[in-house]
Amino acid sequence: MSIGGSDLDRAITQLRACRPIPENQVRELCYKARELLIEEGNVVGVDAPVTICGDIHGQFHDLMELFRVGGDVPDTNYLFMGDFVDRGFYSLESFLLLLCLKVRYPDRITLIRGNHESRQITTVYGFYDECLRKYGSANVWRYCCEVFDYLALGALVTGAATSLSPTDGPLADNTNIENFPEADAEIEIETLNSNGEIMYRYARNSDSQSSASQATSNPASSSPIAPTPSRTGPAGTGATSSANGSSRNDTGAILCVHGGLSPLIDTIDKIRLLDRKQEVPHEGAMCDLLWSDPDEIDGWGLSPRGAGFLFGADIVKCFNHKNDLSLIARAHQLVMEGFKEMFDSTIVTVWSAPNYCYRCGNVAAILELGEDGSNAGYVRRSNGDQGGGGGGWILGSNVGIGNSGANGGNSNTVGGVNRRLSSVLGDIGKGREGPGRRYRVFEAAPQDSRGMPAKKPVADYFL
Amino acid sequence: MASLPRTTTGAPVDTPAPGHDPDTSVTQKGFKITTRKLPILKAGPIEDMTKKLGIAPPEMIFGDNLARIEHLSSGWSIEFHAFDALDQVDKTGDSMLKVSYSREWQQNRQKQFEDIKEVVKPFDWSYSTAYKGSTPEDPAFQPTDAPIPLALLKRPDPIIFFDDVMLYEDELADNGIAMLSCKIRVMPARLLLLTRFFMRLDGVMFRIRDTRVFVEFETGEVIREYTAREETYEAVRKALAARKQDVLAVMRDPNQLTEYIPVVDKALERVLLK
Repeated sequence: MSIGGSDLDRAITQLRACRPIPENQVRELCYKARELLIEEGNVVGVDAPVTICGDIHGQFHDLMELFRVGGDVPDTNYLFMGDFVDRGFYSLESFLLLLCLKVRYPDRITLIRGNHESRQITTVYGFYDECLRKYGSANVWRYCCEVFDYLALGALVTGAATSLSPTDGPLADNTNIENFPEADAEIEIETLNSNGEIMYRYARNSDSQSSASQATSNPASSSPIAPTPSRTGPAGTGATSSANGSSRNDTGAILCVHGGLSPLIDTIDKIRLLDRKQEVPHEGAMCDLLWSDPDEIDGWGLSPRGAGFLFGADIVKCFNHKNDLSLIARAHQLVMEGFKEMFDSTIVTVWSAPNYCYRCGNVAAILELGEDGSNAGYVRRSNGDQGGGGGGWILGSNVGIGNSGANGGNSNTVGGVNRRLSSVLGDIGKGREGPGRRYRVFEAAPQDSRGMPAKKPVADYFL
Repeated sequence: MASLPRTTTGAPVDTPAPGHDPDTSVTQKGFKITTRKLPILKAGPIEDMTKKLGIAPPEMIFGDNLARIEHLSSGWSIEFHAFDALDQVDKTGDSMLKVSYSREWQQNRQKQFEDIKEVVKPFDWSYSTAYKGSTPEDPAFQPTDAPIPLALLKRPDPIIFFDDVMLYEDELADNGIAMLSCKIRVMPARLLLLTRFFMRLDGVMFRIRDTRVFVEFETGEVIREYTAREETYEAVRKALAARKQDVLAVMRDPNQLTEYIPVVDKALERVLLK
């Protein structure tokens, strides 16, 4: 049978209930997906607004929670940065659902490849065994692996708004509104819990790094989450960044990739030239993009494991500058708080598998980037006035007044501003303004909803 | 969340009050046995630990977890937790392993990037530890020839307390697994604790390092047995294939692996508590 139209919707319904679809439908689906993916470049262009997600690792029920928190497809656009499979118990259902959604709504969902989307890795870390168990043969695994080879290596998000319009959601417990930026401040970062309650809000260029509930580590809270966005460097480094002139009122693009950078890749165009339609190699640029990690070092370093690269802040800043990027979003590494910004917010790790491996107790996050709306054009007054709390905005002359403030309904659409980044880039040159970033943090789906055995260890007479 | 502290009945303590004691414990014949299970550490505590240890902790670091046996009248105790275990990991890089495809990777790399030479923070990233528990210096363990009385432990005595506590785990950047965990079972007259370090570096080697602590409550005798096993990946793979075993499944299960991995180090000690 062919999988299309209503069949596809039926498959989606079935997979949403965490029930695998028949093997012949998987074959058809994978064929369709390949036809679609082959048309995509190595670096897919994606327009904001988009919600960026990190590793899923077969945690199907948590993927459902992600959609609950972030909005359903196709109402929300999604970009998944790979590692859909392995580790969790439902790699098959998770990957096939994402693939169905991709085939059904190709412009609404982008899937890029993680290091686990590989034949070799999946035979060791669970996906192969799972397919064998659920279908009695390796056929489905083989179909999926063929799709893996066609997944893009990265995505380039353009048109993201430089700041957020504040959500009018309620405050999370222990949130101290006194620390919030002033009402007229440009919001650079906002963190919400899974109920949409505001946990933190940071104004752009604010010296105070206004934040709420820095001490929410109370495990009794309904949201026992106290992410402190890890921001290296003093909070006030943006003090002089406003001297950036008014020509740059838009944010640079955001590169999304599973692992990180490669010493073989100094421009995004070089990623575009790779031949990606193959198993992930053990070395070379394609391998690095899926495997490398940022680290607190200067330049490039070798992983102590004997293979793989680590890259420092200077590498990221140079790369971003050269490629007109404001941010690199990547996944690949578990972070307890669900997200971790490094190197003066030039790179962020997003992790979307809560309670990883069903035992880590970490929270997960997704990153929402808003659309650069028509009222983008607020520029920072270039008078060096650092005005903590982000006051002092003037309306850019390149934007019609009629548009300003007309976007109350779109929570992500506010104007653009200069960015503290530009000052930390100092020696490199002017950096692009980073996008406004809204992190939604969520916990694992309740245990009983996933039909999992209780985690209470069973007493045994071990010796 | 799965890692919330639980009562001894197995019911999750779903909303622990602030400052709620995450410990579970049982006292049996003058010995208090405690376990603590909490989520992995957050960024702040990880940074602190990194500074104190001088190496990056494993990816999944249950730094608050512990298993402890206390002798109430003498104050003696033996405790297992991640920090001391990690403090015994080689921090110099002298005993550093290399992933299976390292040579291939290095050769290709060298042609292109001779200038990238520096290995970042070398250390034993397999987190291999010979940790036998944290104990006070006095009274100290003494070597002994008397092994743990297995026959007594094979009897189906009721288990009054049982727990399984993860201390750390690392996926070795998808090159295998390293984990340190504790299991403990308390029977009416005695207890057995097993702390196991298990490491599989795909294509390279296996390590299993077991520390067993046996306590006979009545006599106050504590026996500690340490057994280290090590074998190459290839040797284990061949042995499993020869026996027509499901190679990958067995390679994930240290219990099944022990018979294929020879003992390379062993120590037997005891201490008598008064």
